[in-house]
Amino acid sequence: MATHDELTESLKAFTDSYNKNERLKVMNRDWNRVVVVKANDIESLHTLTVAGGVVSMREGASDQPDLTVISNSETLADMFYGDITPTEPYNNGTLRIMGSEDDIVRLDFISLMIWGE
Amino acid sequence: MNSLQLKKVLTLRTIVATSAGLCLASSSFVAATMVANYVLGDTAWIAILIGGALCFLAAACFSELNGILPTAAGIRLYFSRAFNDQVSITVSLVYMLIVVLGVVGVESYILSRVLNEAFPAIPPYAWIVVMLSLVTAMNLRGIKLAGVFQDVVTYSLLAVLVSIGVFALYKTGFQLEAPLSPGGAVGVVQAVAVGVFLFVGFEWVTPLVEEVTQVKQISRGMMIALGVLSVVYAIFTVAMTAVVPKEALLAAPAPQLLFARTILGDFGASLMIVVILATSLKTFNAGIISVSRFMYSSAREHVLPAVFSRVSTRYFTPWVSILALFAIGLTVSALTLATNRYMALVNLAAAVTSIVYALVGLAVISLRHRMPEEPRPYLIPCGYLIPVLTTLVFAFLAVALLASNLWVLAYLSVSLMVCLVYVNTAVPYLKKKHQARRPAARRRPSRAAEGVEGK
Repeated sequence: MATHDELTESLKAFTDSYNKNERLKVMNRDWNRVVVVKANDIESLHTLTVAGGVVSMREGASDQPDLTVISNSETLADMFYGDITPTEPYNNGTLRIMGSEDDIVRLDFISLMIWGE
Repeated sequence: MNSLQLKKVLTLRTIVATSAGLCLASSSFVAATMVANYVLGDTAWIAILIGGALCFLAAACFSELNGILPTAAGIRLYFSRAFNDQVSITVSLVYMLIVVLGVVGVESYILSRVLNEAFPAIPPYAWIVVMLSLVTAMNLRGIKLAGVFQDVVTYSLLAVLVSIGVFALYKTGFQLEAPLSPGGAVGVVQAVAVGVFLFVGFEWVTPLVEEVTQVKQISRGMMIALGVLSVVYAIFTVAMTAVVPKEALLAAPAPQLLFARTILGDFGASLMIVVILATSLKTFNAGIISVSRFMYSSAREHVLPAVFSRVSTRYFTPWVSILALFAIGLTVSALTLATNRYMALVNLAAAVTSIVYALVGLAVISLRHRMPEEPRPYLIPCGYLIPVLTTLVFAFLAVALLASNLWVLAYLSVSLMVCLVYVNTAVPYLKKKHQARRPAARRRPSRAAEGVEGK
C-alpha cells in the first residue's frame, strides 16, 4: 500500500514530465479538463487540472470533475510514475476511470507519450 | 465515489438510442428476410419476438456483470475474471474479428448493390471504397457525431421503419392468416437463431457505464432498446413478407429497398436509399470506433503488436489501427462482392454472438462463486435460473446454426484455431519482448532508499 505522500510525489512526477513536453502542451491546448484521482484503499484525493495545455496538481477533490480515476494506492503510484501502463490495471479491473470514452482514451495517450510503451 | 459527480452524464434517451442504433444495420433486413424464410406464412414475428425475448435473458446477464465490473473493457474483463486471461483474449479476438468483419462485409455488399442500382454507371466496389474512405477519414480526424444528432438519427430511422411497415399493412388490408402456426421445430429454431443477428450489438452500450450516474440506467436502456427493436423488426418484417413474395426478398441484396419500392414507388425507393445510407454509415462508424479502440487497447497490453498503439499527435486517434481496419474492410468487402456469400457472414456472426451470450451466462454463474461478496447493483432475480437458461438456450442456438451450415462451422473453426495459435505463441512472444525493452530500474523511488515506511 502506498502512502498519500507517495501518491502526491507520483502525481508531481507525472505533472512535471507532462509540462516539460512542449508537444503535449500544444496538443492539449484546447482540452481543458478536471481529473480527480482517488485511492480506494487509503484516504487520498488529488485533482489534476488541464488548462491551456498546462497541467497543475493539488491535493483534495474537485466538485464536478470531467474524469475520475479510481484504484488502489500502489497501482496509482506505479501508474503515475510510468512503471506500469494504465491499460493493464484497467483491463484486469483494478483501475476504474469514470468519464467520457474520448477523455479516457486521451488520458491513456498522454501517459503513452510521456512514458512510452 | 458517489460523491464525485461527473460534469457530463448520459441520459436514458441516449443509452436507448445507442443500444438500438448499434443493432440497426442495413444487413439486419437481410437477416429478417432469412428469418421469414425459415417459418411458414406470416409468422416471422413469432421468431423475432422469441429472439428478442432470448436477448432479454442475455441483457440481464450483461447487466449483472456490468454492475460488478463497470468497465469499458466489457467481455475482455468479465471473461478474464470468470474464466482466465487466455479464454478472455481468445474469445474477445474471435468476437471482434467475426462480428465486425461479418457486419462490414454484409453491410458493404448491400450498400454497394443499392447504390449501384441507383447509379448504374459507377461500379459497386467504387461505392465501398468511397464509403469506407469517408468513415476512415472521419475516424482519423477524430470527428464524432454529437450525441443529440445520433439520437435524432436513430429515433427517426425507427419511426420511418414503423411508419412504412404500418402503412404497408394498412394498404394491403393485412390480416394474420395462421398467426400461431410457424411450421416445424427445425425451421423455428433456425429462424430464432438467425433472429439473434437482428439484435447483435445491443450490449455494446455497456462501455458507457463510465458515463452514467447509475449502473442500472445501462440495464434499463438495453431492455428498452430490445423491446423497441423487437416490435419494429416484427412489424417491418411481417409487412415486407405481406407485400413482396419471400423468394423475391431472399434474392434481393437489399430486401427493404424492394419492399419500399413496391409499396411507395420511386418515393419509397429514394426514402429507403437514404435510410440504408444512414444506417450503413452509422454501422461502419460504430464498427471502426469500437474495433480500433479495442486494437489500440490490446496493443497497449501487448496482445497485439505495438505498432497498433501508435497515436496521431495531431488528432489523438489510433491511426495505425484505423488504417489497418480500412484495409481489412476493403479486403472483406471485395471478397464478399466476388463470392456473393454474404448470407454465410450473417450466419457466422449470429453463431459467434450466440456462443458469446452462452459464455456470458456462464460468467455470471462463475462470478457468483468467485466474487460472492462483491456488491451487485443489478442482481438477476430467480437465482441461477436465468444465467443457466441463457447458457443452455444460446449454446443450443449456436449448435443448431453450425450444424445446419457446414461452411459456417468451417469458417468458425479456422478462426478459432488461428486465434488460439496466436494467443499461445505470438502473445507470449510480444509480452516477453516488451519485458526485455522495459527500463531495468523502476522510476518510482524505492521505499527503503527513501526511508518511507508503507502502511
